[in-house]
Amino acid sequence: MTAPGTADTSIGIEAAGAYAPRFRITAEEFHEAWGQFQAAGVSEKAVPAADEDALTMGYEAAIHALVAGDLDGADVSWLAFATTTPPIEEGDLTARLGAMVGLPDDATRQNFGGSTRAGTRAFWAAMDAVAAGGGRALVVVADAPMGAPDDAMDHAAGAGAAAFVVSADGPAAIVDRAEYAAPYPGTRFRERGAETTDGLGVTTYDRQAFRETIGGAVDGLEVESNPDAAATTYDAAAIQAPDGKLPYRVADAAGVETDTIQTAATVHDLGDLGAASVPVSLANALADGHESILAVSHGSGAGADALAIDVDGDVPTRLALDGDDPLSYAEYLRQRGVVTSGPPSGGGAYVSVPSWQRSIPQRYRLEAGRCGECGAVAFPPSGACRDCGARAEYDRFDLPGTGTVEAVTTISQGGAPPEFAAQQAQSGDYAAAIVAFDATGRRSSSGGDDEDSAGAAGEDAVSAPAMGTDAEPDAFAVGDRVEATIRRIYTQEGVTRYGFKVRPSMRRE
Amino acid sequence: MRDAYLIGAGQSAYGSFPGESYRSLFETAFERAVDSVPEGVEPGDVDEAVVGTLGVGGRQLGLSGPAVTEHVGLGGVPTTRVENACAASGYAVRQAIQAVKSGMADVVLAGGFEIMTDTSSDATKYWLGVSGETEWERLSGTTFSGVYAQMASAHMDAHGTTREQLSRVAVKNHANGAKNPHAQLAFECSLEDAQSAPVVADPLNLYHCCPTSDGAACALIASEDVVGKYTDDPIRVAGVGAGSDSVGLFQRDTYTGIPASRRAAETAYEMAGVGPEDLDFAEVHDCFAIAELLAYEDLGFCDPGEAGDLIESGRTEIDGDLPVNTSGGLKSKGHPIGATGAGQVVEAFKQLSGKAGDRQLDDPVRGLTHNVGGSGGAAVVHVFEREERSSSERSSGRSPRESESGVAR
Repeated sequence: MTAPGTADTSIGIEAAGAYAPRFRITAEEFHEAWGQFQAAGVSEKAVPAADEDALTMGYEAAIHALVAGDLDGADVSWLAFATTTPPIEEGDLTARLGAMVGLPDDATRQNFGGSTRAGTRAFWAAMDAVAAGGGRALVVVADAPMGAPDDAMDHAAGAGAAAFVVSADGPAAIVDRAEYAAPYPGTRFRERGAETTDGLGVTTYDRQAFRETIGGAVDGLEVESNPDAAATTYDAAAIQAPDGKLPYRVADAAGVETDTIQTAATVHDLGDLGAASVPVSLANALADGHESILAVSHGSGAGADALAIDVDGDVPTRLALDGDDPLSYAEYLRQRGVVTSGPPSGGGAYVSVPSWQRSIPQRYRLEAGRCGECGAVAFPPSGACRDCGARAEYDRFDLPGTGTVEAVTTISQGGAPPEFAAQQAQSGDYAAAIVAFDATGRRSSSGGDDEDSAGAAGEDAVSAPAMGTDAEPDAFAVGDRVEATIRRIYTQEGVTRYGFKVRPSMRRE
Repeated sequence: MRDAYLIGAGQSAYGSFPGESYRSLFETAFERAVDSVPEGVEPGDVDEAVVGTLGVGGRQLGLSGPAVTEHVGLGGVPTTRVENACAASGYAVRQAIQAVKSGMADVVLAGGFEIMTDTSSDATKYWLGVSGETEWERLSGTTFSGVYAQMASAHMDAHGTTREQLSRVAVKNHANGAKNPHAQLAFECSLEDAQSAPVVADPLNLYHCCPTSDGAACALIASEDVVGKYTDDPIRVAGVGAGSDSVGLFQRDTYTGIPASRRAAETAYEMAGVGPEDLDFAEVHDCFAIAELLAYEDLGFCDPGEAGDLIESGRTEIDGDLPVNTSGGLKSKGHPIGATGAGQVVEAFKQLSGKAGDRQLDDPVRGLTHNVGGSGGAAVVHVFEREERSSSERSSGRSPRESESGVAR
């Protein structure tokens, strides 16, 4: 079938971003621990930190895509979040993701999940939404699969995210799409209430499901109905990669050469990215400047989507997929929470969820306020002005998220508040800093003037406490420049609270 | 306003006492305070009571004042509970002084208590954090060790203060505490020990942090109208000062000092008509080693940035010209949160009445106590002064400020 769009307009990718955590574990580490490594073709894989999950990784990728496209959340009218590993089983994460990236309150939000095909399903829906209503769609796909430690699933399981801005006239036009489904129960599933993804491991059956659905979806593409011709047409093929071998086994069914798959592949260095497998490879292919790209997902159960993409011009991309912080297998089990216990039971200093909810503009977007009386900046923007004592209204604006460390400590094991005991058991010592955030951001309320309040960077600042992340604690010293990101802060009463943390300034400068 | 006098003070031992309750510890402190009054005092003489406690463990958050004063037989005496975190009973003493100076009461009991060691260390940490700024500071991953460590990082960065100087605070206070039978950690430690301890929150290690403690302390404050009935060696409350600030460190004007302490000290010195150079000793709030160094600067014992040199000089050791924390301080004597401020007053009373045993200073006349709540959200300072023996001289020994301003009584 032909992709939606009129003769004059196509629908395409306007910008792309991708993210993978900094931690890596090698196949050798698994081999040492288990005497074997069951994920063929994976040499190392990305591991999410204890304070990361699909939502925070999706946020990272989304910000990269928006920055690449020189856009912000207010420019987006439709959002999709796709993952097979949502941090909660019930509850709409798009509300939080939308707030994190600053989407309008009335933007459309869609959740996708259920299988590793979720990422391309989100694409599919974005195309329809743009075709029907115009505007800009933001497709965010993130995943961090997890299996039982002795299972091939876990050996392959990586972590990563990709995000795309989709709109009419995006330079990477999605010129065709097709889907295919056939019932194959027992291939890759997670039981209700289970932590880990499982599979019956009937090898030939699994491969048959993979091959039939992928072949069926590609066959449905009209743009290149002849597989032999397609093999010479596509520069790159982003094929679902549960391990480093399976995608190559279906090269013929997808009508491409193995080299065409390899050029976009991320599985060898990042592992099985689940629903984000094809999207991250697609972002990789766009960043490499490929002009004709095939993207084919597979979701257990089973089904597949195929997208044909023609690139005309530059697609701005920002990829943060590098990571070189190695983990031993024992450290891997700790980071993933396999060998640690939950938080201790409660006591004083309780912050209720409604209290937390009221602070979300500060937690997600560092919303500060300028005193209406004297112009001093306050964070959080409440109470009497610290400078002049006036209880005037604050003119609210989002801080840009960069700043300088004013005071810092490394919290050692046992020194953390109990809310952070579980995280510390997983990730070890962490930095806790007071950061002078640059107060030169744009205002979120009407009537403000960027240039007026900007001044020289660093001249105007407001202090806030923040936990360090994304680096060892000794990477934070008084005077260092840092930038904010969003991570898991802590979980209490089953509710994970997300908020800003800081990391050494490097990725976003 | 009329003068107030410290006529007696006593404390329980500080430590971990599974066999004691907060009431039994308070009872011990109360009895010792009553027994310390030279001419004796009857419980029936007490007009009012002010009791400080944070409420660690949540065992009696409501009406925790009457819960202890009724237990010790103060039957019906109006009791107020004061909560100002670690400065709770420092403020209780201040409230007692205000009640006496205002003329509403002649004898007031000021005390404090805390039980901190009967819950798991994780549960205790929930409570230790309740006096930090809860929504932002704590949720950046800090308890007080972390916040004071941040202050240390800033002080080190600004003034070149060293880890060794921090460790010297521990060595000094342990040397003093080893001479105090009521101290929780009554042993000496070497500089090497204090430098090689496990890190709690860099740059602070275990020896830079006070312990968690059970304990209680009481002080008795009397008016000038009745003081002669209780003692021939009156100890006058020469100065009182207090101050507040933002609860969270990140909202303060400085991280290398505690503005509330400065304000409290300035007020107390002015009321007493003395300066830091007139002190014979001081009990300062050394919950962490950096806190004692900050206190040196905030209380004017040295210029800003020079606290590291001051501890290194030995001048604040027990045989120096301004001994600090002869009791062992919070570091060695212990820090049962609600009892700490009143406990500092106990040490001042003992030193000024010559009952400090092995750590007795040579005939001190004037001492200061300094009690901080949280990381500096509250602070209170008292200056106590031993008067001349004769009661006729007592009236002329009043503070210059009051004499000059001719405040009506």
